[in-house]
Amino acid sequence: MIKDFLKTLVENRKSLAGLIMLGVLIFIALFAPLLAPYPPKADRTERTALIEETVGDQETLSEERLSDDVEKSTYVVATSRKWEKTVNYFPLRAKPSSAHLLGTNHAGNDLLSQLIAGTRISVFVGLATGLFVTLVSLTLALLSGYLGGVFDDIINFFTNVFLVIPGLPLMIVIGTYIPMHGVLPIILILAFTSWPYPTRLLRSQVLSLKNRDFVMASRMLGERTSFIVFREILPNMISIVMSEFFAVSLSAILAEATLEFIGVGNITVVSWGTILYWAQANGAILMGAWWWFLPPGLMIALTGTAFVLVNFGIDEISNPRLRKR
Amino acid sequence: MADTTLLEIDHLKAGYATKAGFVRAVDDVSLSLRRGEFLGIAGESGCGKSTLAYAIMRLLRDSARIESGRILLEGTDLAGLDEADMNGYRWTKLSMVFQSAMNALNPVLSIEEQLVDAVLAHRSIPRAAARDLAMEMLELVDINADRFSSFPHQLSGGMRQRIMIAMALLLRPDLLIMDEPTTALDVVVQRSILQKIQELRQRLGFSVIFITHDLSLLVEISDSLAIMYAGKVCEYGPSRELYGAPAHPYTKGLMNSFPSLTGPLGRMSGIEGQAPGLIDPPPGCRFAPRCALAEPRCLSGDPVLAELSPGRACACVRCGGSL
Amino acid sequence: MKYFARKFGMLIFTLLISMTINFFLPRLMPGDPAKALMDRMEGVDAEKLDSVRAAFGLDTQDSLPVQYGKYLLNTVRGDLGISLSRFPMPVSTVLASALPWTIGLMGLCTIFGFAIGTLLGIWAAWRRQRKLASFTVGFFSFIRSFPYFWLGLCLIYAFAFKLRLFPLGGAFSIDQARGSAGWWLSVLRYGTLPAFTITLSSLGAWMLMMRNNMINVLAEEYITLAVAKGLPAKRIKRVYAARNAILPSVTGFAMSFGFIVGGGLITEMVFAYPGMGYMLYQAVNAKDYPLMQAIFLIIAGSVLVANFIADIVIMFLDPRVRDGAK
Repeated sequence: MIKDFLKTLVENRKSLAGLIMLGVLIFIALFAPLLAPYPPKADRTERTALIEETVGDQETLSEERLSDDVEKSTYVVATSRKWEKTVNYFPLRAKPSSAHLLGTNHAGNDLLSQLIAGTRISVFVGLATGLFVTLVSLTLALLSGYLGGVFDDIINFFTNVFLVIPGLPLMIVIGTYIPMHGVLPIILILAFTSWPYPTRLLRSQVLSLKNRDFVMASRMLGERTSFIVFREILPNMISIVMSEFFAVSLSAILAEATLEFIGVGNITVVSWGTILYWAQANGAILMGAWWWFLPPGLMIALTGTAFVLVNFGIDEISNPRLRKR
Repeated sequence: MADTTLLEIDHLKAGYATKAGFVRAVDDVSLSLRRGEFLGIAGESGCGKSTLAYAIMRLLRDSARIESGRILLEGTDLAGLDEADMNGYRWTKLSMVFQSAMNALNPVLSIEEQLVDAVLAHRSIPRAAARDLAMEMLELVDINADRFSSFPHQLSGGMRQRIMIAMALLLRPDLLIMDEPTTALDVVVQRSILQKIQELRQRLGFSVIFITHDLSLLVEISDSLAIMYAGKVCEYGPSRELYGAPAHPYTKGLMNSFPSLTGPLGRMSGIEGQAPGLIDPPPGCRFAPRCALAEPRCLSGDPVLAELSPGRACACVRCGGSL
Repeated sequence: MKYFARKFGMLIFTLLISMTINFFLPRLMPGDPAKALMDRMEGVDAEKLDSVRAAFGLDTQDSLPVQYGKYLLNTVRGDLGISLSRFPMPVSTVLASALPWTIGLMGLCTIFGFAIGTLLGIWAAWRRQRKLASFTVGFFSFIRSFPYFWLGLCLIYAFAFKLRLFPLGGAFSIDQARGSAGWWLSVLRYGTLPAFTITLSSLGAWMLMMRNNMINVLAEEYITLAVAKGLPAKRIKRVYAARNAILPSVTGFAMSFGFIVGGGLITEMVFAYPGMGYMLYQAVNAKDYPLMQAIFLIIAGSVLVANFIADIVIMFLDPRVRDGAK
């Protein structure tokens, strides 16, 4: 089932294009330190070189004969080395140049390096949130849809309640309250506000599968619940689960950038959102510094497009009506 | 009225494009229908009988299309008409009853609106007159006038199907195509619908093409029968003769797959296997792989319909069909 | 009527949940909330701090349930506390100054976005075999994956900074007398870019929603029947296809009225447009907790009420829902 799904995904032109884009982004995220010309928070390069070394005369301090065969002596050699240290401070708010292809920011950090380093954070936060939320909502959906009864009522009720409470303002308010260390808090906030929709969708899918003939038959045959859930229901949900994963990841990347842009979130982390935050805070637009605010947005848009393309493919696989002939 | 040809289908090929190739669901089908005749078309699901019905109504959309052949209704080739001219024929000359009335009725419009707009699309008469016409038709199918403003979901399955029939007969068409009109209904309702159709046919004199996978439904009411298998007509003839002495092995198999209503209770055998795929079907008789009587020559060429007696034909080497 | 009662019950409950979240948020902060607040708000005077504590009910010795009860009562009465950044203005007064701008801007954009998007969606589904239709769909899908605050930044850069066609931010010219014809004109000019950003980013969603629904509806048998009946194509498109396909969109539209207050948050922030969003931005930066929470509550409240209205609208539009069949 999973193999078939992946095969059709690769065969679909749109989703293949999306997967390739995603692969490139993940590659950049993984090898960011190797790809970036400078460390993201560096505002200078330091080069220290040895330019002269003088070896002085040898001076014997002591000589001792320990036995007939052993003689021990102590001596010093005075050597002096001359070093030269060149500190090359990056210009502040510089235009693109050969040294800094995308210029520098207000603190002199190389923007290209920040963009590459930011890929790591943004893609990680997006995928991690996507994975986390997908797992949580899949679990809730399976429990709710399969166990049914009061359990289902409770989960369904809270899903519906949280579904309608607007996410963005809630994220902003929570984000302002809780202290931001690293990126974990932001992942949790994003997850907290994005679980209801996939949960509802997956639950209805579980419910419809549960009443399909092959599942009914297994139940009548007395198959164990775990068998039915993991071998019969889950494999039939792959496309909708994957589609939700990509949808949640996309909205997480957008929401993360948004939160960071308005200063909620950890502004000391280097991500696409924080680059935009500093660009806005330093009036990049009024300086006409397009190289500062344009690239991070484009990266976000590209990532978004990658996810959208993959999901287009999945949609076409699971809903043949949308397929363009 | 008697014995004039109303519809003539001439070497019709139709089907739909899929990723794997073109599925020729109707492959070189020729049939003719007299005025007032009741023609039953039977076959397994996927044999192309619905595609045939949709092709006659020119309802094949998106990837589906008519490849070649003619559909002559009183001499006019429907297959060659443009969409606007075809619209002039639809519902006035020929109309259709769909399998599921629940799906075929628009859920957000009242019965009244759906009946009246069919009239108003073709007749320049005041709305009130169209309403009267619709009411009159509903009465014919035993639907109470107080149901007029109901919505589809408020009615029972049998009522909905009767409304579909009333709708199809609104403009007194010459031909009524019924695509599995009773499949979604229970047996009792099925029977009353069939009786209604017969009664209306005697009264209004239209011809019927009745499509079903259930051959037993057709036995009592149809004048002639066409059996379809894998896109082709494999046997054709007056229903009494065909039912009495089926010639094609497939027809025999089909008859054995349901209990006789009147005769002695025999063993039901059914037919083993499945119909072949319709993308690039192999040469030879399409039924051969499932046929108990298949011979080597069956695999070498596809038998064409051969006339057994006037108005009776069979596509099998055993009944004289040529390859 | 049972449907109505159920939806109404849901409305009340979701409102209650929102208020409860709002109540517990400051109390969920690690450590003593009062101290945490003090740490975060360096250099605030004692008077302000007292009002924070009062706003959260932290100044009393009441037990949590009593605090909760008092909070609910105050909120229902419209007493949302005192703003810190505009001390000692009550939060409700601050909100009242921002609300008209947001409602004016977002209300128009919501209507435009819905109307244009839905029409485009109908067209894109009806003509889905055409190149132009699939290009349009692709274009808006692409736009949708943009962060829309960034779209705003780009528009400011292009139209306000480079071409100098529109102002960089704000909602009206300060050179004109408030209420004069020139002032109203300036409101239009200042509103154009933010409105364009919001409409552009919301239009795609309406279009895609309508297109997909429409394509699904077009595959329904009742469309085939309508074709078989020989109805004119226009009538099939409008009465048979669009009428059914628009049902989910109408629900979405009614719901989107709830987002009038909260939907343009980020756009307002980018354009320094003095509505609720910009107010929230300022509140966040100034750590004006009471104001921030009140804004969340107002946004949540309007979304929930709009949802409720949407449910009622659908009850009138869809005979199946009316009869409780769905």
